[in-house]
Amino acid sequence: MQATWVFDGRSSTTVSAPGDVLAPSRIDERDSGNGVGQFARNDRPMSILKKVFPKGDTLLVWFCKFLSYLPLLALLGIVGELFFQALPSIKVSGFGFFTTSDWKPGSSYANPISTSGVMHPPGAHFGIVPLIVGTISTSLIAIVIAVPVSIGAAIIIVEKLPAKLSGFLGLSLEVLAGVPSVVFGLWGVLVLGPFLSHHITPFISKHAPNVPVLNIFKGPTGAGEGLLTSGLVLSLMIIPIIASTCRELFRQVPVTAREGARALGMTDYEVVRKVDIPWVSSGIIGASVLGLGRALGETMAVAMISGSVTGTFPANIYSTMSTIAATIVSQLDSALTDSTNFFVSSLAEAGLVLLAMSLMANLFARFLVKRVSGTALPVGRGV
Amino acid sequence: MTQSLASDITTGPNQGDFDYSQKRIDDASSQLQVPLKTIDLSVGFSHSTILNEISLSFPKGTITALVGPTGCGKSTFLRTLNRMNDHVRGFWHKGSVVLDDVNIYDKSVDPLVLRRNVGMVFQRPNPFPMSIKDNVVSGVKAHKLAKRKDLLAIAESQLKEVGLYDAIADRMDDSPFRLSGGQQQLLCLARALAVGPEVLLLDEPTASLDPVSTSSVESLISALVPKLTIVIVTHNLAQARRIAQHAAFFFNGELVEHGLAAQVLEDPEHETTAQFVTGRMG
Ligand SMILES: Nc1ncnc2c1ncn2[C@@H]1O[C@H](COP(=O)(O)OP(=O)(O)O)[C@@H](O)[C@H]1O
Ligand SMILES: [Mg+2]
Repeated sequence: MQATWVFDGRSSTTVSAPGDVLAPSRIDERDSGNGVGQFARNDRPMSILKKVFPKGDTLLVWFCKFLSYLPLLALLGIVGELFFQALPSIKVSGFGFFTTSDWKPGSSYANPISTSGVMHPPGAHFGIVPLIVGTISTSLIAIVIAVPVSIGAAIIIVEKLPAKLSGFLGLSLEVLAGVPSVVFGLWGVLVLGPFLSHHITPFISKHAPNVPVLNIFKGPTGAGEGLLTSGLVLSLMIIPIIASTCRELFRQVPVTAREGARALGMTDYEVVRKVDIPWVSSGIIGASVLGLGRALGETMAVAMISGSVTGTFPANIYSTMSTIAATIVSQLDSALTDSTNFFVSSLAEAGLVLLAMSLMANLFARFLVKRVSGTALPVGRGV
Repeated sequence: MTQSLASDITTGPNQGDFDYSQKRIDDASSQLQVPLKTIDLSVGFSHSTILNEISLSFPKGTITALVGPTGCGKSTFLRTLNRMNDHVRGFWHKGSVVLDDVNIYDKSVDPLVLRRNVGMVFQRPNPFPMSIKDNVVSGVKAHKLAKRKDLLAIAESQLKEVGLYDAIADRMDDSPFRLSGGQQQLLCLARALAVGPEVLLLDEPTASLDPVSTSSVESLISALVPKLTIVIVTHNLAQARRIAQHAAFFFNGELVEHGLAAQVLEDPEHETTAQFVTGRMG
């Protein structure tokens, strides 16, 4: 889906985001027949009371209407099909899908058995909780790192650097955004993971304080595959998305507002914190959710770096784990060999859960945007 | 209220070196104190020179109007007085700007403290994206001039001082962007006053306002002297005549004439000034 952010009609950034509902695109369907053509054709004044559509126009209008509903139809189709596929899993697993943590396809050699009228391999049990935890925690790491870095990078590009350099850095952000996720995955496996596990994480683990929350940094550091590496790679993947959006946002902060803050004797940091960021705060939230959506749904890189361990909760921040998206892609092959189709059905239900999660992230962002714009202002207003 | 700009130089009232003697000034004002003056100040950006050797004094507790055709360098001059041009690429200056015996471009001067003492209000109201109350005390907070619990009282008293309080008493936590342009400009004045400046620089503060708002801003400015020393750039000669005691006429980066407002604006010595003040020149 395409999300177009238009701020005060002056400038817009177009970024594509999976499952983004903040600003759904739409084809403008207002007033398709404007009558000018008729005036020329019919050689009489256009009636302001009635709109007369010649046949061709009517067809065009209906075709455009159809096109404008296409994205919605596609979404409904996907959700419907996914739900249909997931039905057997929903029937068998029930609430257990959301409360248990085993992820076992069962024995594919034994004869299938039937529960609630659904055939499935004996011993099959699917509980999605660890995958939800994995998905949320990798995305959380990514967002916590990416948002401040992106804001900082965008501010520096817009305000501090000479025009040429900032143009070049902006371009390189866009190039970074275009790097395929499998390349990020390779880099994570071959470079970042080993580097972290050899040089960084043992040190952190040794010196982290053993107090609640921070003790997630203690314990065995593993071989470099797992939660932390996945989160870091994800953050790198979403920084270009968030930073380039923020760059466009900060460009729209009026110089007059910034100068007002400087004239009061504020430091550069205070100018950024009191003027720049509040000025575009709702846009920053939107940008962050775009990034979050990407992180939640990112598949290939995480499948390569996470260690693909299902069925257990990560013990600390270095643990191997998996996410919903990564599990779907790495297990689909073997799931297709399940003659009862129950495994595939469970993966489909997992897909539904992922869809619901990105939807909730978007709704949460809407809520935040509303709260923020209550005290501050929409971007570009005022001066 | 007056804060030492440079810790190693003592500041104090500066008697007697205000030199208008050749400008037919009456005896009373020859003893004026001068908190702010420029000495042979030349300013430019990169290769261009915008202002040429300007020496101008701003007598304490008075309003000085800077007038001149568009593009003659009034804003640039004003922004040099609180180092706002420091941020502009290619900015250079020669000569000095002296505030309370200290050259503000001296290495020992902290521009942030300087801007607290020399406040500035711009042509267009520029409230910050925060509540009205937070706008007023934003500078106070940034400089840690008051305790958190006193902020509301400060905001209220500043808004009362600019005459805005009654209109917005129940909207202190609302966005400033819903105020009218004139109210926004009064808010910006309140914000600038809240940090307790001794000099206030105004760059065409009423240029974007309607006549009613203009007159309320004007009466506020007039009420701020003699507590503050005010320098106002205005393209509105009637306004200069209404509120200013002193005036300076700039033309093409040169200071052509300065002195008492009545003299410069009504009975100028120079032909260019006369052309300008009689409306024969833009
Ligand atoms: N940042 C800048 N870089 C280069 N030239 C500038 C800059 N700011 C102003 N100028 C030039 O300085 C001259 C004076 O401008 P300004 O001080 O704004 O005039 P005024 O306020 O009297 O209308 C103008 O010719 C303008 O183009
Ligand atoms: Mg100007």
